[in-house]
Amino acid sequence: MEDARDLDAYTLAKSYFDLKEYDRAAYFLRGCKSQKAYFLYMYSRYLSGEKKKDDETVDSLGPLEKGQVKNEALRELRVELSKKHKARELDGFGLYLYGVVLRKLDLVKEAIDVFVEAAHVLPLHWGAWLELCNLITDKEMLKFLSLPDTWMKEFFLAHIYTELQLIEEALQKYQSLIDAGFSKSTYIISQIAVAYHNIRDIDKALSIFNELRKQDPYRIENMDTFSNLLYVRSMKPELSYLAHNLCEIDKYRVETCCVIGNYYSLRSQHEKAALYFQRALKLNPRYLGAWTLMGHEYMEMKNTSAAIQAYRHAIEVNKRDYRAWYGLGQTYEILKMPFYCLYYYRRAHQLRPNDSRMLVALGECYEKLNQLVEAKKCYWRAYAVGDVEKMALVKLAKLHEQLNESEQAAQCYIKYIQDIYSCGEIVEHLEVSTAFRYLAQYYFKCKLWDEASACAQKCCAFNDTREEGKALLRQILQLRNQGENSSTEISASFFLPASLSANNTPTRRVSPLNLSSVTP
Amino acid sequence: MASVHESLYFNPMMTNGVVHANVFGIKDWVTPYKMALLVLLSELGRAGAQLGLLERRRLNRLLLPLLQGPDMSLSRLRKAIEESCPNLASSVHIRIKLMAEGELKDMEQFFDDLSDSFTGTEPEVHKTSVVGLFLRHMILAYNKLSFSQVYKLYTALQQYFQNDEKKNGIDETDMELTNTDELEGKMEKEELDIPLREEEISCGGPLSQKQAEYFLSQQASLLKNDETKALTPAALQKELNNLLKFNPDFAEAHYLSYLNSLRVQDVFSSTHSLLHYFDRLILTGAESKSNGDEGYGRSLRYAALNLAALHCRFGHYQQAELALQEAIRIAQESNDHVCLQHCLSWLYILEQQSSDSCVLLEHSVKKAVHFGLPYLASLGIQSLVQQRAFAGKTANKLMDALKDSDLLHWKHSLSELIDISIAQKTAIWRLYGRSTMALQQAQTLLSMNSLESVNVGVQQNNTESFAVVLCHLAELHAEQGYFAAASEILKHLKERFPPNSQHSQLWMLFDQKIQFDRAMNDGRYHIADSLVAGITALNSIEGVYRKAIVLKAQNQMSEAHKLLQKLLTHCQKIKNTEMVISVLLSTAELYWRSSCHTIALPVLLQALALSREYSLQYLASETVLNLAFSQLILGIPEQALNILHMAIEPILAHGAVLDKGCAMFLVAKCQVASATSYTPQKKAEALESAILNLNEAKVYFVKVDCREQLRDVLYFQARLFHTLGRMQERNKCAMLFRQLHQELPAHGVPLINAFK
Repeated sequence: MEDARDLDAYTLAKSYFDLKEYDRAAYFLRGCKSQKAYFLYMYSRYLSGEKKKDDETVDSLGPLEKGQVKNEALRELRVELSKKHKARELDGFGLYLYGVVLRKLDLVKEAIDVFVEAAHVLPLHWGAWLELCNLITDKEMLKFLSLPDTWMKEFFLAHIYTELQLIEEALQKYQSLIDAGFSKSTYIISQIAVAYHNIRDIDKALSIFNELRKQDPYRIENMDTFSNLLYVRSMKPELSYLAHNLCEIDKYRVETCCVIGNYYSLRSQHEKAALYFQRALKLNPRYLGAWTLMGHEYMEMKNTSAAIQAYRHAIEVNKRDYRAWYGLGQTYEILKMPFYCLYYYRRAHQLRPNDSRMLVALGECYEKLNQLVEAKKCYWRAYAVGDVEKMALVKLAKLHEQLNESEQAAQCYIKYIQDIYSCGEIVEHLEVSTAFRYLAQYYFKCKLWDEASACAQKCCAFNDTREEGKALLRQILQLRNQGENSSTEISASFFLPASLSANNTPTRRVSPLNLSSVTP
Repeated sequence: MASVHESLYFNPMMTNGVVHANVFGIKDWVTPYKMALLVLLSELGRAGAQLGLLERRRLNRLLLPLLQGPDMSLSRLRKAIEESCPNLASSVHIRIKLMAEGELKDMEQFFDDLSDSFTGTEPEVHKTSVVGLFLRHMILAYNKLSFSQVYKLYTALQQYFQNDEKKNGIDETDMELTNTDELEGKMEKEELDIPLREEEISCGGPLSQKQAEYFLSQQASLLKNDETKALTPAALQKELNNLLKFNPDFAEAHYLSYLNSLRVQDVFSSTHSLLHYFDRLILTGAESKSNGDEGYGRSLRYAALNLAALHCRFGHYQQAELALQEAIRIAQESNDHVCLQHCLSWLYILEQQSSDSCVLLEHSVKKAVHFGLPYLASLGIQSLVQQRAFAGKTANKLMDALKDSDLLHWKHSLSELIDISIAQKTAIWRLYGRSTMALQQAQTLLSMNSLESVNVGVQQNNTESFAVVLCHLAELHAEQGYFAAASEILKHLKERFPPNSQHSQLWMLFDQKIQFDRAMNDGRYHIADSLVAGITALNSIEGVYRKAIVLKAQNQMSEAHKLLQKLLTHCQKIKNTEMVISVLLSTAELYWRSSCHTIALPVLLQALALSREYSLQYLASETVLNLAFSQLILGIPEQALNILHMAIEPILAHGAVLDKGCAMFLVAKCQVASATSYTPQKKAEALESAILNLNEAKVYFVKVDCREQLRDVLYFQARLFHTLGRMQERNKCAMLFRQLHQELPAHGVPLINAFK
């Protein structure tokens, strides 16, 4: 009834609202009684306040005022809305707006309550759920919320699991949603891709994104994540295609700028990349990924102070941004302050305890500080949590080498080689030859001729160790002949299988490398 | 929908895609307060010759603090002007009122007229004078404003004026009870204000730049000089968080937050704040000069150095060393000798933890003098003196060195170091056992007006050196038996350095030590035992030593011996000679208590040799007392008397009252013992003098309320009177003895066989 009465005013105001003339919209909605009109009225007032605030910031009267600029409308809105709230006159949208206002006033606890209420009243309004997502910081908080039991809750839970880095749970939720009939939803597909990106399962994420692009070719959302993946894999043509495509769709979108920035960065045009990240930030200063990425670009340009600044900004926006902490650590590492950067790497590690990159970085710092015990721990842990770059074991082996712990070193090299070959792909790994060379020499020292010669032969396959491998082979041949001629009884013990001799001797002997499985 | 209004944000730090690190470089912005000042200046110019000489002078003196100080409200400004010239104040007020209640063009006209004061053949204001510079800055800043900014400035001025009016108006409305209309308006306002909660109120309002700077520097200096007057840690942190919320670029606030976290021993947040500060500092440094000596590279070096200092303060010596190495490496790479010098002095402090070589320190002092860093140089000298004192260097050399460094201090007016120097002298005199000299030095410091008070008006009296001196003073008084005075001093200390402040541990230790000594004197060993735990918490070595003493007093000889042996080896390892000698003395005492005087002798001789070598005179004379006692028991009282003559003088001059009493008692005993071989007449004389000495001892023991010893003295005196046939005095002594004996439990130790 009321809706019908307010329809004219509402339609007029909605048109003004769509034209972003908020004050005008609010003016024409003054006397309206219907819920819909009331929401639009309040929302226009809110947005008008926000807009004015942003405009004010530009011409503030100097630094004194910088922090003072506030949305003046907020408090009035709060008073009015709280009155209505007390009288239980607010509908779902009204509650949502009330929550937003409270959040803007930093009254987080009240805001959460109101958003939960909004979700109960109007479970299908995703905005309230999203706002709730932003306010919940850990799993514990989530447990204590009493949420409405609808299918929207499943979406919300999946989303917040992704945010809280609980990827396994998130993927499960999404899978059950797909099974329940949402298989065509591009939103779910994109969220799954993002989740895979978060656990650095790059191949899966890439394939899902490609699928997504096929289904939804004009999508801009989430494409920044896609470009990150392409960047990590150095897929230049794909990234270039993506960048051009997005630029055609809409070039003034944060995601587009980010993709272009990544594209330039991959082409080593770091100034241009930084420029595009800055543009992204101008479009949305809260888009924190760009701060971090800009930091990376400044690092590439060797502008460390600007990089530090960018990273600090990123941290200010979100304290839990592990990449920014990691970036700060890297910056100080470049400035040759290994002790100083320990703190930053530790912070990053705290945020991502199972990420090997931080652990390797920590290990490297400890190594530089000559704290070899700690360094060993770090590398070992990095290997244990699943090393992404496969460098931890080599570094660990080298440390053992330095400390003259040849057995452990050999073990590490063996594990490393097994790791590299078991992964299936043949990546050019410089350290493989080093590993084989060390193993050859190690077996040579232990007088395990067969294994030594096998490793030496492997060495010959690499350019840098070819000569050494050949020399070692010759030596082995020579010694073998000598050994057979002079004293067979002594050499017999050397030919015992290593596993047996390991039982006899107190020192742990390395079991010989099973080379049959290693053939590339 | 959320992203719609998020994207409306605009970051003021970025213009034209370039990120400005710190807008704080620019300090001149037109604010309503500044405009009021401009009005004042123009009124001053207009009034010109009408002002009297006195008024003019007062106004001129007022101007500088007004120009440089933080923004203040209109009424306060008006009051300040009124104090020097009431006429002017009202005319200023009227002009501001006209401007605020008028139109925008009034303000524009005002600024146009301002520049007139420079023109003319004889301008009112010189372009380069303080006032001239201020005027020109303001005109420039005003001209730079955009249209909307000008309008905003005008509304700000109106508000500034109205706020003031309102404040004055409140009193009036209360009395008049004006029409309901206004009341209703007020109600609505209140309604707006009521639902504000604490969080909102706490972040009351942003401080202006100058106010923030003043706040920070004030709190920082208070933290350094007089912690009790600074805000409490929690309140200060709240203020800082508030400040940072509004001015996230205010890096100094992070540093203060670091200092504040240090106060409460919070490693985590202090590290966080320190690193944040330097991250910010690096930004500002980068703008001025990149990588140069002054800018960014420099702050990097000091960042590492500060981190080292932080770890050192928390006792993470290994971490500190790593950080320091880093600082040294970076400083070396960029040839920053001053920074290297700072590193060197920290390196010395770290080295001190592991070894006692002073090569580094000597080197540091030399270098510091060479680079003209008086502060570091004399700090180095002071550390060196301290180390040398422990290493047993002769006193005259040490005092000479201190005198030289004092010269440096006075020359550069390093008042903080002067205080430290005096405190150090007090401690050194105490170490040597010259209580009168120590007393004198302590009084010097306490009655000296520090230089700071002349300079800033902040009484610098809550530094560590004051705490040290006061603690020594308390102990000196307690030694002389003035327990009331000592507890008075301790009460004062408690007020000055409340229990959670930086230097509170010092007085806590001294307080417990004095209480312990008193309990031991009274023979209330259970109380002493309960104090041991507290002492151990503050100083483990001292605690173990006291524990052994309690055990010894409770006749648990073997436990005490075990403990003392352990302590001895530990102290020898860390070269704590003072404690080694004390331990040796206690061990010797244990031996003679178990009647093993022959074993005690070599231990005592060792202690004597050590205390002579390190010129610890007080301990030496105490050793001599022990030695004499052993000799007495071993049957050579003449020899004992001989060496007693050596020790008695310094003990009477500098010793504690208890020791004086013991010494006199011992002398008497020796006299009696050696008198056995004398002729009757001579013997009587000797006994008479012994009685006199005993009387003196009695006086001393009464002073420190040491009743056990008093009982022994009385017993001994009664025996002497008996020998001399003076029955009346004998009976009196015997009666007193009996009274005491009934009060006190008898311990297993034979009465005469102990001198302590």
